[in-house]
Amino acid sequence: MLGLGIESTAHTFSCAVIEKKGKKGKILSDVRKIYHPEDGEGIHPREASRHHIDNSSIVLSQCLEEAKISVKDLDLVTYAAGPGLGPCLRVGAVVARSLASFYKIPIYPVNHAIGHIELGKLLTGATNPLVLLVSGGHTMLLAFLNKQWRVFGETLDITLGQLLDQFGRSIGFASPCGRNIEELASSSSNYVTLPYSVKGNDVSFSGLLSATKSVAKENKSDACYSLQETAFAMISEAVERALSFTRKKELMIVGGVAANKRLSEMLKDVCKRHGCKFFVVPIKYAGDCGSQICWTGLLESQVKSGVSIKDTFVTQSWRLDSVKVDY
Amino acid sequence: MKLLKKGAEADIYQTTWNDSKAILKIRKSKSYRNPTLDSKIRKHRTIKEAQIISHVKSFGVLSPLVYFVNTKDSAIFMQEIPGTPVHDLPNSKIIKLSKDMGKLVGTLHKNGIMHGDLTTSNFIFYKNQIYIIDFGLSQNSIKPEDHAVDLRLIKEILNSAHAQIMQSSWKNFLLGYKSIVGAIKHAQILHLVSEIESRGRYATVV
Repeated sequence: MLGLGIESTAHTFSCAVIEKKGKKGKILSDVRKIYHPEDGEGIHPREASRHHIDNSSIVLSQCLEEAKISVKDLDLVTYAAGPGLGPCLRVGAVVARSLASFYKIPIYPVNHAIGHIELGKLLTGATNPLVLLVSGGHTMLLAFLNKQWRVFGETLDITLGQLLDQFGRSIGFASPCGRNIEELASSSSNYVTLPYSVKGNDVSFSGLLSATKSVAKENKSDACYSLQETAFAMISEAVERALSFTRKKELMIVGGVAANKRLSEMLKDVCKRHGCKFFVVPIKYAGDCGSQICWTGLLESQVKSGVSIKDTFVTQSWRLDSVKVDY
Repeated sequence: MKLLKKGAEADIYQTTWNDSKAILKIRKSKSYRNPTLDSKIRKHRTIKEAQIISHVKSFGVLSPLVYFVNTKDSAIFMQEIPGTPVHDLPNSKIIKLSKDMGKLVGTLHKNGIMHGDLTTSNFIFYKNQIYIIDFGLSQNSIKPEDHAVDLRLIKEILNSAHAQIMQSSWKNFLLGYKSIVGAIKHAQILHLVSEIESRGRYATVV
């Protein structure tokens, strides 16, 4: 079975083709164009959506070309219907609808966050993991129970990605700032005390963000180092709590922040302590991409036959724990 | 000394204290954590836990007796409660006990204590009574927002780990809670709970 996945929830416009045989999936192509705001600024939804419109046809044709197929070979089209930025989501949905209605291909709206998890499972081989989803849009601990992903812990305000990006931008970095912060942090080992806020299995980062900004006025590398140490220790503790509560024997990290080495290192240590297997999604597929959407759509096609065009919605707020998973 | 449980933040051992069975809870140093942050967290939580675990007894909440505290190693020797965590009881029992758990939490809040880690594993059912354990994240607080954080956490746990019985269990919990704190405070805290939930990511704002 051949599927096309279209991702356009935030910075990234991406198309991917995956071939599914039984339980196995092979990524034939995954093409992305990423919108970059100016240094020190955040994503502007309208500008990002214009970027996506300008790039959509190039990305789509390149994706089909690399997969060596034509549109007519596709068995289904899927798009990320949310959560994300409204103007951006609409671009992906319009492309998907056009293809589906013109070529009469079944169409599947997919939850972006579930996409991260399903592709992670495909690529790492994790079977029944506690999932840590850390990105610009999410910071959540999840486990699968009774046909739904259930939230065992999450951020009560901003996400880990937002924390890093908003702090990074305040000292002049271009988002995504994770890598720059990690580099600058490695030049310091001077820990400045910052607010550490774990509430049960949940975390809260907003106080940490403000406090780190004031430390940065004195010394930027100390601020980066202390920010990483504090935020990642909070995440690690929440993970430990959720692991010991759910008694899962696997941990999988997915999402853009999964690329951070210091975070992986800390979580590896957590897993060792709990005798638990550790999986990280490969860096290439950690950030948003069409493959995530495509694979989830292919899985859904096992139990559903697609939706009619009038039901192809987009929704900015779509929590993944409200999605029934039947496959 | 026998290791009973490697918990999230501490290891739990079975040991003896003056010839009677006891629990030793040690917050071991975590190699992944920055040493300054690590020792601060361990020491702070050990002291807080020892204080509050004893304090709650004064208003009738059952909790383990503290025998000895060693702040140097972040260790607490305490009484063993040889019951079953509510988490592991049959569903029908959990639904029934939810009302009592609600009453206990109401009593804590009424007396200015926030538990900070209300999961069904931290309520122990023993000899027909419920004990509360694990006060490491507890605080002396009369702030409604803090009390709402407590309720939101137990709600999250019921909704995830006990999804099949969430409705009836949460209803009973609130009945118990309301019977202790009164209708006004109950309504105020519930309002704050939905406010916290609506602050969450992609929450459906009702």
